[in-house]
Amino acid sequence: MSLLGELVAAGLLVILATACLFDRHLFRACLAFLAFALLMALAWWRLEAPWLALAEIVLGALLTGMALFHALGRLGEGCRLPPRDHQARPRHQSPVRWLAALVWLALAGLAVWELSGNSPLVASGEVSRRPLLASGLAIMALGLWAFAHHLHLLRRLLAFNVLGSGVFLLLAGLAGPVVEVQGLILVGLVVALVGSVLGAALLGRLYALDGRVTLGADRDAAP
Amino acid sequence: MNGGLLLAALGTSLLAAVVIFLLPERAFRARTGVNLGAAVIKLSLVAWMVWGLRLGHEYAVAFPVLEGLPFVLRADALGIMFAGLSSLLWLFTTVYAIGYLEDSPNRKRFFGFFSLCVASTLGISLAGNLFTFLIFYELLTLSTYPLVVHRGTAKALAAGKVYLRFTLTAGLVLMIGMVALYALAGDIRFGQREILAGLEPEYQPLLVGLFWLLVAGFGVKAALVPLHGWLPRAMVAPAPVSALLHAVAVVKAGAFGIVRLVYDIYGIELSAELGVLHGLVAVAAVTIVFGSLRALAQQELKPRLAYSTVSQVAYIVLGVGLFGPLGTIAALSHLLHQGLMKVTLFFCAGNYAEELGIHRIDELDGAGRRMPLTSLAFTVGALGMIGVPPVVGFLSKWYLGIGAIQAGMPWVIAVLVTSSLLNAAYFLPILGRLWFRPGPDHGVGAWPGERRLGRFETHAWLLVPTMATALFSLMAGMLAGMPFSPLEWATQVTNAEYLR
Amino acid sequence: MSVSSAASLSTEVVVLWLTLLVPALLGALAGCFPPRRMLPVLLIGAPLVLATLWLLHRVSVSGEFQGTWSPGGLLLHWRLNGLAGLLLLLTQLLLLASASYAVGHRQTFAVAERAYAGFWPLLGGLAVALGLIWVADDLLTLYAALELMGLCAVGMMLLPGKQEALVAGMRYLLYALVGSLAWLLGVALLLGASGRLDMAGLAANAAPGPVTGIAMALLAAGLLLKAAVFPLHGWLVPVHVSAWAPVSALHGALVVKASFFILMQLWQRLVADAVAAAWLLGLLGSLAVLWGGLQAWRADALKQMVAWSTVGQLGYLMLAFPLLAGTSAAVASLAWQATWLQLAGHALAKAAMFMAAGNLVLATGERHLSGLAGISRQLPLSLMTFGIAAVTLMGLPPSAGFTAKWLLLQAAILAGQWLWVAVLVAGTLLTAAYVFRVFRFAFAEDAPHHDVRVLPAGLDLIALLLALSALALGLGAEWPLALLREGGRP
Repeated sequence: MSLLGELVAAGLLVILATACLFDRHLFRACLAFLAFALLMALAWWRLEAPWLALAEIVLGALLTGMALFHALGRLGEGCRLPPRDHQARPRHQSPVRWLAALVWLALAGLAVWELSGNSPLVASGEVSRRPLLASGLAIMALGLWAFAHHLHLLRRLLAFNVLGSGVFLLLAGLAGPVVEVQGLILVGLVVALVGSVLGAALLGRLYALDGRVTLGADRDAAP
Repeated sequence: MNGGLLLAALGTSLLAAVVIFLLPERAFRARTGVNLGAAVIKLSLVAWMVWGLRLGHEYAVAFPVLEGLPFVLRADALGIMFAGLSSLLWLFTTVYAIGYLEDSPNRKRFFGFFSLCVASTLGISLAGNLFTFLIFYELLTLSTYPLVVHRGTAKALAAGKVYLRFTLTAGLVLMIGMVALYALAGDIRFGQREILAGLEPEYQPLLVGLFWLLVAGFGVKAALVPLHGWLPRAMVAPAPVSALLHAVAVVKAGAFGIVRLVYDIYGIELSAELGVLHGLVAVAAVTIVFGSLRALAQQELKPRLAYSTVSQVAYIVLGVGLFGPLGTIAALSHLLHQGLMKVTLFFCAGNYAEELGIHRIDELDGAGRRMPLTSLAFTVGALGMIGVPPVVGFLSKWYLGIGAIQAGMPWVIAVLVTSSLLNAAYFLPILGRLWFRPGPDHGVGAWPGERRLGRFETHAWLLVPTMATALFSLMAGMLAGMPFSPLEWATQVTNAEYLR
Repeated sequence: MSVSSAASLSTEVVVLWLTLLVPALLGALAGCFPPRRMLPVLLIGAPLVLATLWLLHRVSVSGEFQGTWSPGGLLLHWRLNGLAGLLLLLTQLLLLASASYAVGHRQTFAVAERAYAGFWPLLGGLAVALGLIWVADDLLTLYAALELMGLCAVGMMLLPGKQEALVAGMRYLLYALVGSLAWLLGVALLLGASGRLDMAGLAANAAPGPVTGIAMALLAAGLLLKAAVFPLHGWLVPVHVSAWAPVSALHGALVVKASFFILMQLWQRLVADAVAAAWLLGLLGSLAVLWGGLQAWRADALKQMVAWSTVGQLGYLMLAFPLLAGTSAAVASLAWQATWLQLAGHALAKAAMFMAAGNLVLATGERHLSGLAGISRQLPLSLMTFGIAAVTLMGLPPSAGFTAKWLLLQAAILAGQWLWVAVLVAGTLLTAAYVFRVFRFAFAEDAPHHDVRVLPAGLDLIALLLALSALALGLGAEWPLALLREGGRP
């Protein structure tokens, strides 16, 4: 596989993640997420981890997508959520969240920098994983920002999923597609799926109960 | 080594507490039976141990709790003396409480915690090291709280809050001191005075600091000035609880802790060498005079008795601080004497309140004719407190005085004289009102709330224990030379302390 | 699944894995046929406790058991030492108590049939997850177990189905998910740096340096979030206020502790000598003690108070980090024993307290403290249970809390770290302040008479037994502590 191919794939992932997280139109955002997950599966395929690719398609794209669309009300019966997110986080809540996200990101970036400089794993000519690391960091950054900033629960779920994918990419980029990594990512995918399904179901119930799509008085400090 | 008796004595009151909690509220007869049965059994077990100790038997039981830190129960002469006092007074106080609380609510809760309280007191007296002592000392705090707030009025609840604030903080201070002592020297059984005495001289400032930390911890329960604030407030509790707090358990536990600390942990020689005894005497002297002055200012009976306790318990500490056998005899015997006299006085105060509704001192006019036996008992207790022979209080003051001269602190005599004068000043007017003033029967109005509680001047359950403790106070003074009298027992303990 | 160990497939290994996995089966079964009476639950659960006791006996005789298994090319490790065995025993006991309590809870409290049936599989899942966390010896198993535990816990919190429960549960879910991603990122860094996932390999291969430090920071952040350690405790209280009593009891007693356990294991292996970071954790713990205590003191509702008390009490556990980092062997040994004793004592007492609080709330229908005025006459047993549990929380004798506090004080004094002495004092006084607030209401005699619902005797009995066992652990601490001293410290 060529470095250029990797670069293109990585760039596409970042673009899709951006589209997914920035779009206030929820249906479009979910569609972007679906595409993002499929592209992730492609990345796993190219890393010679076919089982992981299959798991990503089934768990990450298909089932998670179904859960999200169900919450939106586009699938099965249930209340339809309003199609657009109008919520904005009050300004006074922002600084702590920004700080936490930045610290997380800075720590991760520093560690990745250290590792790719010193570690025998990455230094031994595996240049092709560099784009993976970079895109992983970028996607993580996007996910963190979105998770910390958004109020709408569906968008926070999307952000969590994107953030998770970023972590998976970093994991694969740091340690290579060894069997331990595949095991960790597989568990991570299952957890993300169960979390998304649970979250989506909860969102549906909450909206049905009293029409809320956020946590309301959100006093918590961390992202 | 024979630990069974110790566990049986301790278990009796614990078991009584559990059984009482399990019995339904209305099972009055069964509860009374359990209460009295447990009190009698415990008293006989303790008496058995007293006899056994005379014959040279050893009673001890221990098991490890932490590495190098065991739970130890051991009956030594000093401990069994306190155990004997508390078991004897518990019997009388139980009888009194049964009569006092007749037909009032929450009796199950009351007697359950009452038993627990006495079990803790017994544990305190039989504890063989500081760790075990602390366990029962804190248990005592917890089990007295429900008794203090028993009435459930806003005033009682507030008093309970103050009580907890003082005692829990003191418990923490005590714990820190004990842990630090343990970290410094390991586990010290009571009587192993050589451990601290054998430490290097550079630890002496630390030992002084720890001594005062521990004294502060004990001083709250012993109501040493300025740590006495909880005691007068706790007066809102029912009369048997006051008797328990002032004579049997709580205040005594604090004083007993100081006795243990000076004689059995530091040792009297080391304490003298560290120079802490002078400080102790000074604190005690201040407390004695302050307590008496405040008592003089009180216009109600129970608060006056409460401040009198503050002053009288400090006699024990004073005796401890006097370096010498006579001071020790005075301290130890006063531990017993004060208990007998004070319990009598509180029983009397309770009788006046129950039968005639009297709370204020100026309402006592002529009560001697209406309740002659109670007033007689009160007179015995009050004269004892002043130090008039032949009641036991005289003996304590006598030994304290001689001890002070022996220890080279003659100024203590001045304190004793002042205190005796003040005692006379606040007790004699009461006696005068009781016996020589005309009462309401002669046409000057009525008693504040008279109830006819029994065939006698008041309920028999209230009268009998009052008379019994008064009799004991009198006998202990008149028969002081006989074997097993408090004074004789205290002398035995003192000999053991100084000859070893 | 192929199990291999030093002694091949010995009886101990079979018994261990049966004890670990059977609860899942039982949970599924109970989900299909929800139990109606307490006795069958107790009878079916008791063998698990006995099996764990037997395992502990074997551990004390022949030392640690360990082994590996390899699904699909992975090599996963497990071990059973004294500490893990004791925690397993604690878990089995609390699970049994909680399961029986849940049956009685349903008898008194109208609960949707579906929600009640859903409780059991979640309980089974939680049991498996907790068991795995105690015995797992590699990061992958720990990750899977941690997530299983978190998701089961969220599920159980949602069972009441009320709006406030759903909101609180949603917040808990989001927190838990983000926490697990922080954990995963930390694992990724460790894996990238050393190429190993098993604890022993990590300890041997991880070079001290910025990467290990950052990885540990991320792992710690994730775990602290899940353990609700100050300042990441925001999710805990709302979740407990709306949850069922048996669920709260399990959660406060075990679930938050499991994250602490993992953190302690990793910390001791990877950055045992990082004094500054350990002090930071200790300071966070101190703030937790103060803040949790203050909030509990100010709380209006009973369950809210108990939940805030959990926040405060978790802070005591964090004091272990500074006392273990760079101190003498004697101090470290004391702090190590104190921590696990405190954990066990708090687990038993907090479960008892949640149940007792649940009983009070169930019987009176009052959620607020002021509604409990004068309750001492009508519900003496529940109040007594609450009190006995509170004795342990306050660290007064004779309770496990007291013995643990003694050890902690001794360690702090020996190490000369006086700050923690002050924290322990403040924590004790604050705890006494909020606990006795309840009694001040309960002992009031001038309150109006309540209409009190009669509860099944089992509800009070279970809570009382738990509270009493926390007391018994105080004076009977020698046996577990001897096991702890023999093994368990990496």
